[in-house]
Amino acid sequence: MRHGRTLLSALVVAGTALFALSPLHAGTAAAETPQLTGLWLTTDYPERNADFGDAIRIGLDLMNKNLPPQRVELSVDGLPDGWKSEIDGGGAAIEAAMVGTDRTVSLDLHLTPPKTAKAGTYAFEVEGKVVGQGEGRTMTLPVKLTLAAPKPAKLTLDPKLPDLRGTAKSSFDFELTLKNESLNDTVVNLAAAAPDGFEVAFTEGYGSQEITSLPVKAGASKTVHAKVHPPQNVAAGHYQVQVGAQSDVAKASANLELDVTGQPAVALEGPNGMLSGSATAGEERDFTFTVANSGSAPAHDLSLRADAPSGWKVKVDPKTLPELQPDQQQKVTVEVTPGDKAVAGDYMMSVRANGKGVSNSADFRITVMTSTMWGIIGVVVILIALMVLAVGVRRYGRR
Amino acid sequence: MRREGSPWTGLSTIAVKEAADHLTSARMLFAMALVVLTAIGSVYGAIGQLKTTVGEDPFLFLRLFTTAQDPLPSFVGFLSFLLPLVAIALAFDAINGEYQRRTMSRLLAQPIYRDALLAGKFLGGLLVLGICVVVLWLLVTGMGILLLGLPPSGEEILRGLGFLVVSLAFSAVWLAIALWLSSLFRSPATSALAALSLWLLFSVFWPMLTPLVAGVLVPLDPLNPMTAIQQFELQHNLSRLSPNVLYGEMLTGLLHPSTRSLGILFRSQMEGALVGTPLPFSQSLLIIWPDFSALVAGIVVVFTLGYVSFQRQEVRA
Repeated sequence: MRHGRTLLSALVVAGTALFALSPLHAGTAAAETPQLTGLWLTTDYPERNADFGDAIRIGLDLMNKNLPPQRVELSVDGLPDGWKSEIDGGGAAIEAAMVGTDRTVSLDLHLTPPKTAKAGTYAFEVEGKVVGQGEGRTMTLPVKLTLAAPKPAKLTLDPKLPDLRGTAKSSFDFELTLKNESLNDTVVNLAAAAPDGFEVAFTEGYGSQEITSLPVKAGASKTVHAKVHPPQNVAAGHYQVQVGAQSDVAKASANLELDVTGQPAVALEGPNGMLSGSATAGEERDFTFTVANSGSAPAHDLSLRADAPSGWKVKVDPKTLPELQPDQQQKVTVEVTPGDKAVAGDYMMSVRANGKGVSNSADFRITVMTSTMWGIIGVVVILIALMVLAVGVRRYGRR
Repeated sequence: MRREGSPWTGLSTIAVKEAADHLTSARMLFAMALVVLTAIGSVYGAIGQLKTTVGEDPFLFLRLFTTAQDPLPSFVGFLSFLLPLVAIALAFDAINGEYQRRTMSRLLAQPIYRDALLAGKFLGGLLVLGICVVVLWLLVTGMGILLLGLPPSGEEILRGLGFLVVSLAFSAVWLAIALWLSSLFRSPATSALAALSLWLLFSVFWPMLTPLVAGVLVPLDPLNPMTAIQQFELQHNLSRLSPNVLYGEMLTGLLHPSTRSLGILFRSQMEGALVGTPLPFSQSLLIIWPDFSALVAGIVVVFTLGYVSFQRQEVRA
C-alpha cells in the first residue's frame, strides 16, 4: 500500500518536512521566499537502464535542510532473489548515515545481478529509517532498473596491419587483437588457411612459444602474433591468408594479405652433384659446375670466380653471365691445373658466383695425384742394380 | 772354363734345408723369442693407450703399429731395431761357418754351382725372415681384433701388407750385408762383430753423424737462406744411405696416411691444403716408392758384392 503511494511521487521521492517552519525563521520567511526545511533521500536518475554484465552503480543523496543532524539507517527492499546490494559511503560499506544541518551526504548503491538474471524491469526501494529525533519516520525511494537482454557471446579478431610486404625469405609478422566480448571466460582455438607451402605460427604477445589455443577472460583482449613464412621458392605475387579464432560458442576471422616480392637466389653445384674431384699435379683437368637460379626473380650480372692455391692455374668459362632467369641452369667449366710442385693430398678450391644482391660459393675438394715419373726412376735404379748383378754373374758365374 | 747347365740347380733344396736348419737352431729361437716378447709388450701397451683415446680414428689398426707407451717404444720402433739383429743372427756365419765346420768342400762336391749355394742361403734366410715377419704381423692384427673388438678395414689391410713387404725388404738388406761379411772374413766372430758394428753405426750413430758431415760440407751462410735448405737436403740425402732411415721413412708414409711428403715441404706447397686428410693408398705408395726402390737396389748391390767375393774365393778341402 505504502509502496503504491510513494511511487506516484516523481522527483522528490522521499522529502517530507519533519517540522513546519521553525519559529526562528518565521519572521524572515515572510519577507523572503519561504525556507525549505526537511530531510530527503534522493537520486538523480530513479529510472535507468543497465547492460547485462555491467557493474550497476546508483548514486544516492541524503539531504538535510535546516534540521538538526539526523541519523538515518539505510536498507534496500524489494530486490529479487539472488541480487546482491551494497551501499557505500566514504569508500566503505555502510548501514547508516548521519547527515548534518544543511549538508548532503553522497552514497552509492552497488547492485550485482546474478548470472541467471533475466532481462526485464526490476523495481525496488531504498529505505531510510530516521533514528533519534523524529524517530519512526521512514523515507522510501523507489528505483526502477531495466536490465537489457544479455548480448550474444562474441569474438573479434582485428589485425593491426593487415597488409605486409616482403621477400620470400622474410617472415611476415601480423599483430592481431583477439577480444572475447562475452560474459564467460573461454578458450579460443586459433587456425589459419594459407596457400600450399605457407607456414603460419601463432604466438602470444611477444612470447616465442607457438600456440594453438589460448584462454581469454570475459571481456578481455589479447594480442596474438601470426607469423607467416612463405615457401622459399614462392613466386612473386599477392597471397591471402585467413586466420580464424573459435571458442565453443563463437568464432571470428580476419584476412591477411601478403605481398611477396621476388628475389634471385644462386645455387652452385659441382660435377654430378659432387663437391670433390681429383687432378694430377701439373696436368689440366676440367670440372663442370652448374649455376642455377633457384629464386623467384632473374639474377643479373653474375660473375664467376674460382680461388685455388697459389701456383695453380684456374680458368673459368664463361666468366660472367648477364642474366639468369628463375629455374634456369647454366653450365660453367672450371679448368684446373694444379702446380707442378703440388704435393699429393687434398686441397680446397672455392668457386664463387657473385651478382647483384646474390652470391654463393661452393668449396670444392681436389685430391691431387702426383705423377708416376719417380716410380719409373725407381724401377730404373733397381734395373741398374740387377744389371750389376748380371755382370757379376756373367764374369764369375757357375764356378 | 765355361761350364754347362743351369746355375740354379739345387737352389730350392739348399734354400729349404737352410730354412729348416735355421728354424730348429737355438740362436733363431732366442732371437725370435726376443722379438715376439717385445712385440707383444709394445702392442699391449699401444692397445691400452688406444682404449683411453676418445677421438675417432679411421686408421685405428695402423695406430697399433705406431703408438708408443712409456717406457716401451712402438712396435715398429722395436722392429727397426731388432729385425737387423735377427737377420745378422741368421747369416753372420753363413759362408765362413761352412769353412769352420769343414763342410764347404763336401757341399760343393754335390752337383751344384756356388751361385746356387749362395743364392740358396740367401733365399733360405729370407724365407725364415718372411715367416717371422708374417707371424708378427698376424700376431699384432689378431691382438688388435681381440682387444679392440674391431675388424681392420680394406685399406688398413692393404697398408699392413705394404708394411710386411717393406719390413721384409729391410731385413733382406741386413741379411745380404751379413752374408757378404761372412764371405769376406774367414772367422765367424769377426764377421759377426763387423755386422754388429755396422748395425750400431746405422741404427744409433748415423743420425748423429749426418748433421755434422752436412754442416762441414755446406756451411750455413747467414746472408743466404738457400744454404740452410741445401744443408738440410744434403743431410737428408746422407741419412738416407742408412737402411734404418729408409725403413723409418717408408713406415711413416705407409702407417700415417696423412703424410704428404717425406722430404722438405715449403709453406707455398701447403697453401689451400687440407691438413690431416689421408692420402689414397696409391699416393702413399708413390711417396715411399723412391725409398723402396733404393732399398731393393741396395739388396741387389750388397748381394752382388757378397756374390763376387764368394765366387772369387778358393775353396779347398
